[in-house]
Amino acid sequence: MSGITTHVLNSVTGKPGAGVRIDFSVLEGDTWRLVKSVRTNSDGRTDEMILKPEDTKVGQYELLFYVDEYFARQGMALPNPPFIEKVPVRFSVFDIKQHYHVPMLATAWSCATYRGS
Amino acid sequence: MNTELLKRRKFLAAGATLSAAAAIQARAAAASSGPVVLAQDATRQPAPAAPMPPGRLTFHGIDTYHGQTIGTLKVDVSMLEGGSYRLVKSFDTATNGHSDGSIFEGSTFKPGRYELVMHVGDYFAALGVKLPSPTFLSRVPLRFGIADARERYHIAVLFGPWSYAYYRGS
Repeated sequence: MSGITTHVLNSVTGKPGAGVRIDFSVLEGDTWRLVKSVRTNSDGRTDEMILKPEDTKVGQYELLFYVDEYFARQGMALPNPPFIEKVPVRFSVFDIKQHYHVPMLATAWSCATYRGS
Repeated sequence: MNTELLKRRKFLAAGATLSAAAAIQARAAAASSGPVVLAQDATRQPAPAAPMPPGRLTFHGIDTYHGQTIGTLKVDVSMLEGGSYRLVKSFDTATNGHSDGSIFEGSTFKPGRYELVMHVGDYFAALGVKLPSPTFLSRVPLRFGIADARERYHIAVLFGPWSYAYYRGS
């Protein structure tokens, strides 16, 4: 499989991050163009791939995770502004035949991402 | 900040953690020799008119690919103003990936929304690490909010060519 997928995990509870808004953008010239805005399902994944194999091109992409909104909905008291708010992850697709799984592990005070599989 | 004040602050910070040990050492020294100058005596300097708050922003980037930050990492510091991030300053990390002192401290440290962009692609390229082109990670944005600039915020980052994590350290 190729294309781009993601997965949000709540590292406070160890459970999937459900209902997290993600804005997906592509770099065109010097400008990030919003491609679509999605929400994670109950498993912390998106129902459809972020970017399907046939639509994937070599280039720079951004996933913007609305982490603060998610933790606020969980009833967590956050500072103003929150330490971890909306988290951009910027990465390159360098070979369209490969799969790019880019997860987000988050708490209100930390986050991590990596190329997964 | 003047030099004396900086010395005083560093001394006080060290003293806060070492005071218990220092007191024990001072008592032991008093028992075995003559007059002892207690550590606290050295703090008898004119107090500043407006004490500097302890708030500051520091950074530590740890290269988990090599197990130590053997290169120099460039970091761009921006603040959100009117809907966009405006570059305030850039710095190169000093020994072991630390910022050379504070990025901001005292009255120069403001609450708000910050972005540190780490030049991770350039860092690994300079060290000769072979990676695909374009590299998976190149300029990595770390965004965070500062709610109370009187507090210490330490941005700790673990980074490699394929992953990174950051958190509020101490």
